[in-house]
Amino acid sequence: MSGGQRSLSTLIVGLGNPLRRDDGVGVRVAEMLAAQELPDDVEIVAGGTPGLELVNVMEGWPRVILVDAAEIGREPGAFLRFTPEQVWLAEETFLSVHDAGLREALLLAQVLGVLPPEVVIYGVQPASLDWGEGLSPEVEAALPDLTAVIRAELSVQGAEPPDLEAAWPT
Amino acid sequence: MSKNISINVHHITRVEGHGDIVVDVKNGEIVKCEWHVVEAPRFFEAMLRGRPYYEASHITSRICGICATGHATASLRATERALGVEVSEQTELLRKLVFHGEIIDSHVLHVYMLVAPDFFGVGSVLPLAASHPEVVKRALRIKKLAGDLCAMVSGRHTHPIAMTVGGFTHLPTEGELKAMRERLVDARADMDETIALLSTLPWPDFERETEYVSLQKDDEYAFIDGRIVTSDGFTYDLDDYRRVTNEYCVPQSTAKWTKHNRESYMVGALARFNNNYDWLHPRAQDAAEKLGMKPLVTNPFLNTAAQAVEMVHCVEDSIRIIDELLARGIKEEPLYEFQGKGGEGVGSCDVPRGILFHNYIIDDDGLIQGANCIIPTNQNHANLQHDMEALLPQILDKPQEEIRLTLEMLVRAYDPCISCSTHLLNVRFK
Repeated sequence: MSGGQRSLSTLIVGLGNPLRRDDGVGVRVAEMLAAQELPDDVEIVAGGTPGLELVNVMEGWPRVILVDAAEIGREPGAFLRFTPEQVWLAEETFLSVHDAGLREALLLAQVLGVLPPEVVIYGVQPASLDWGEGLSPEVEAALPDLTAVIRAELSVQGAEPPDLEAAWPT
Repeated sequence: MSKNISINVHHITRVEGHGDIVVDVKNGEIVKCEWHVVEAPRFFEAMLRGRPYYEASHITSRICGICATGHATASLRATERALGVEVSEQTELLRKLVFHGEIIDSHVLHVYMLVAPDFFGVGSVLPLAASHPEVVKRALRIKKLAGDLCAMVSGRHTHPIAMTVGGFTHLPTEGELKAMRERLVDARADMDETIALLSTLPWPDFERETEYVSLQKDDEYAFIDGRIVTSDGFTYDLDDYRRVTNEYCVPQSTAKWTKHNRESYMVGALARFNNNYDWLHPRAQDAAEKLGMKPLVTNPFLNTAAQAVEMVHCVEDSIRIIDELLARGIKEEPLYEFQGKGGEGVGSCDVPRGILFHNYIIDDDGLIQGANCIIPTNQNHANLQHDMEALLPQILDKPQEEIRLTLEMLVRAYDPCISCSTHLLNVRFK
């Protein structure tokens, strides 16, 4: 964990489709953070579903924080903080079931050598991905904690790095 | 020939969504050859009902991460035609400009990331990035240009926020337009490289003439508005779109199919190329010549090549539009205010994958009472099925793997966007 200790220009990207219920959690978090006071060197993008364009969006930033709905095998509303190195991104199903998403963009950036030095992903377990607007109550309830943790990670001086040990997969 | 072949490609890769290829050959006889679409039903038409008219373009632009501008534009045109809103020439120019950005953005993704790996003999863009990084970097460079062009006009990448009923809530500055013009001029080198690359690709040898359906205008290569034309000689007003689409249900697909004068028709870059070749920029016509293409092109695999030709056209026409905007000067314009009178309207755009229709009924309170939306990919399903039926007998003597790959390439040539779906990250921890 290095985010809490030094000043880094940071890009926050909230991913997902707000018309697919909890898939829109990343966009919602980005909008919430954008409405709050943040360090000057933080930029927020409500990224939607940019696919491989994410490679271009991320390029050149020293630190990128991505927020997305993710299948992490937890209860709906649970979230985990992880880095690309901590998960298996490469699988044979590249560009198969879904069109290009976060995993593909990270892999491509890696292969091309343009992955930012620090990439942090906040994955949120969804309850529903049906067509429809609005988050499930479980994911809605997780928003205060999630935004607080990200804000702590962003704080430059004096802020405690978020303690997420309990949230690590075992 | 007595040969048994069984191909079942579940969720074909490198297309946007879910589709299956099922082929069954027993003793050299084709028992089954089907293109299945397993799309989840869409609910956005229901989502629109009861919503104020000004929300429609923002909601529908979320239907698709790739064609966000196309949906927004068709939606705005439907709303404007329903409410009798006239838009200014400046608005028309800006809409064309952002639309060109989206065409380039979508086509470069398809040409380089989804189709090119087939010809380099690799399974995806990842090994391609490892073996030919300059090719993939060029693709990303073009994609960035297109994304920045869209963001300059519509306020942000991917999902246009500045586009609204009657005009724009945000306008590009002269400085931004000039800088973008320079980048577009520089992009000619990447366009030349793209055409050079595609001219070396061994397209599968297959011809099947069909009916090609697109928009058409008298003064330009049509992407927004105009009339509906078909290569069989039919012309319709936009309001009569249902006379072209004739949607019907088939058991093998959860998506509706369409047909017009023949058993099926084709929409998309190749259809536009065939119907509107005369209006392509000379540089684009020149690119087509380098690719050996002149109407009528009846090899569906060349839809990808037609996309490359359109990229060249859109770069050149964007330069022209920027010149016109700079000459006129960018002006703040008053935004539309609702006049308390509803109506019905059809909006149509020829988006990257083909002709798209939005049709809204809006009441006197400005609320949407009915919505219909027909996307291009659904109009291509039947044509893809008939292509597959025509192609399979011609390649039956090939090894099973080659047959499978050729059929997959056919599906990918159509650039189908089967389900503008979620992008859930599946995490497996180390």
